[in-house]
Amino acid sequence: MLEVRNLTKIYDDGTVALRNVSFIVPDGEFLVVIGLSGSGKSTLLRCINRLIDPTEGQILWDGVDITSLKGDDLRNLRRKIGMVFQQFNLVKRSTVLTNVMAGRLGYSPTWRSITNRFDDADRERAQTALKRMGITDQANKRADELSGGQQQRVGIARALMQEPKLILADEPVASLDPVLAHSILQHLESLNKEDGITIICSLHYLDLVQRYGTSVIGLRDGRVVYEGNKKQILRMTDAEFKTIYGEEAERMGGISGELLEEEAVPDGEEVTE
Amino acid sequence: MSGKDQRLEEKPSLVPPVVAGLISLIVPGLGHMLARNFRKGLVLLLVFLSAAGLWIWRVNDAARREIGFVAMFKKAIQLQPIILVILIVIVVLYLLIAYDAYKSAATAKPNSFLMWVLVLTSFFILGWQIGEIRPAVLVRDGAKSLPLLMRVLWPWEKALYYPEELLVGSADVVIPCTENAEVPPRVVEEGDPYVTVTPACGDLSQIAGAEGTKLKMVGGNFAPNDETEIWWVDQVRNEFRYRYGGEYVKVVTDENGAFELDVVIPYRVIPTTGDKGYALWQVEARQVASVGKPVLSEELKLSVEKMIETIFLGMMSTFFGVILSIPVSFIASRNLMSANWFTKTIYMVVRTILNIIRSIESLVWAVIAIIAVGLGPFAGILALTVHSIAALGKLYSEAIESIDPGPVEAIQATGANWLQTVWYAVIPQIVPPFVSFTIYRWDINVRMSTVIGMVGGGGIGYLLIQWIRLLDYRSAGIAIWFIAITVAILDFVSSEIRNRFA
Repeated sequence: MLEVRNLTKIYDDGTVALRNVSFIVPDGEFLVVIGLSGSGKSTLLRCINRLIDPTEGQILWDGVDITSLKGDDLRNLRRKIGMVFQQFNLVKRSTVLTNVMAGRLGYSPTWRSITNRFDDADRERAQTALKRMGITDQANKRADELSGGQQQRVGIARALMQEPKLILADEPVASLDPVLAHSILQHLESLNKEDGITIICSLHYLDLVQRYGTSVIGLRDGRVVYEGNKKQILRMTDAEFKTIYGEEAERMGGISGELLEEEAVPDGEEVTE
Repeated sequence: MSGKDQRLEEKPSLVPPVVAGLISLIVPGLGHMLARNFRKGLVLLLVFLSAAGLWIWRVNDAARREIGFVAMFKKAIQLQPIILVILIVIVVLYLLIAYDAYKSAATAKPNSFLMWVLVLTSFFILGWQIGEIRPAVLVRDGAKSLPLLMRVLWPWEKALYYPEELLVGSADVVIPCTENAEVPPRVVEEGDPYVTVTPACGDLSQIAGAEGTKLKMVGGNFAPNDETEIWWVDQVRNEFRYRYGGEYVKVVTDENGAFELDVVIPYRVIPTTGDKGYALWQVEARQVASVGKPVLSEELKLSVEKMIETIFLGMMSTFFGVILSIPVSFIASRNLMSANWFTKTIYMVVRTILNIIRSIESLVWAVIAIIAVGLGPFAGILALTVHSIAALGKLYSEAIESIDPGPVEAIQATGANWLQTVWYAVIPQIVPPFVSFTIYRWDINVRMSTVIGMVGGGGIGYLLIQWIRLLDYRSAGIAIWFIAITVAILDFVSSEIRNRFA
């Protein structure tokens, strides 16, 4: 279980990215973070694996406060948390296989890894990850020869190599077309459902949020302005939408809350707002 | 724009237009300042003062022997009428600045195009005069340098050397004819050139008097169909070439290398007789004949050797430059050194040192290196290494600064440590620019090492400058050809390699 308590991040230039953010993510959740660009989604995700150090507040993961970890402890934390990026962040000139193997760096001794000697178990893992992502054929190609969708699968394979308990996905489909977006999110969904990996994913499009998220938090100007579970997402009202995206926002795609209100909610539970 | 107009309308000129114009006549630019156009006024004041100052300097320079400015001015425009043209332009500019000040005070946006054109014109004419640009001289005298240029452009006559041999046949002549004269025996090997004279004795010519004895000279075994000179050697071994009727006598051998010629014993001041009562002279036939096949000339060989030296000079200095600039480049990269004030200070200091080193030309470094280690390629290597460190250090650090931070972040997120992150995320990104900059630098260093040689830093430049000073333009041409060929090949190879790594 991941618990974020009163998290605040103020950058050196004075920008306040997160203000007193608190929420809880039970294990096995597919949490979607929504919000405008600049609302603090990326900062929030990067605070969880400490690519960014929060200014105040705590992040408890299975009861351990990870905001104070340093050195080896920090690296041991990071290797349990996979990360997938909007721009894929592959090393473009390296091969797909090398990029995937890089996911194993946190487990490998420095000298062995920089001489590119990974043990057989790691190579086995890489083959499994590539196969699972359906990119076995591309293993020896340079990363920048791949299409965007394929690159993102390499990114997921790299995260998978870490044998993570949690995957942070920072707008993983924002650079992809809708068909590829679904394909990538289905991969993440299968990791979530089959492997029980908790996923925290920031997304832009409401239809994707409604389709894949098991719970949602909405950020605006660094504050949590919306929290909802699967059913509540499906019934998101225009008013809620506007608290997240601003008064001038026009709703595009997804199912409107008002339209659903008349119908039965799929599993018949009471919806609390 | 509208904002600027508004501001001008809000703050009208401090003085009426006419006053602005008149003040501008006293101090150019002051009128603009009073018309609330301070910056323009300041620029115009500086422009006017510098143009006028430069003009006064040029007058002094053109007529430095005259005393008093008026005399100087008269002499200067007499010698160089262009100085008068400059004066006229500056005066017109002065009036235009005043007019522009008037307009500036009267309207918000005067059209100053003509004035600025005149500002540029005055400086370009000054530049023309200061640069002593004389196209007429180029047209008139340029043609004179054409033969020299041709030697430089096509120097290959000097690329081959034809080995030559001096063929000499000689015969003794006793002067005057004496019984029992002691003539040393002469042995002529079979096939060697020989000369015989009949008779083998006679009398000298008299000055403005009787001709000496006519001898029939026969030669053989010389190079066929080749010009042959006739020389005399007197009893004290003085050699002089045979003339008849004031002209040097030459004979051309036949296809068998033989000739026949009548020679008259010449006039000579030196007493002909010693204590023996006679003198022993020789008459010689001399031929410069090319023998054997042509071989590559010494100049060509030397050029090749020195060119190789130059390429290696460039290579070694690039090598040392690369080795030393890589660590420097990491501490000169802003993104790697922005962790705290201490590293930032190191970054600033290193950057400053690199900039200073880079701003000193490698030629100057070569002179300094020569003082340190003496003439020769090592001095050149030192000089180019120093300059390469600074140049590559900057280029490399900029390459490091411009890497995509995404992969670095991604590798960090996997739990990799610092070294693993650098190895997996930074190095792959900086290899292409590093290779490209290195090759580029090698290219520059080879070019530069040709120049470095001219001040004594080894390589082909040293030869080149020597040959130019000896006015040996053909040899210089060979060196220039080699430099050009090498640079062209290097250019091609380096762009190929850089393309491949891009």
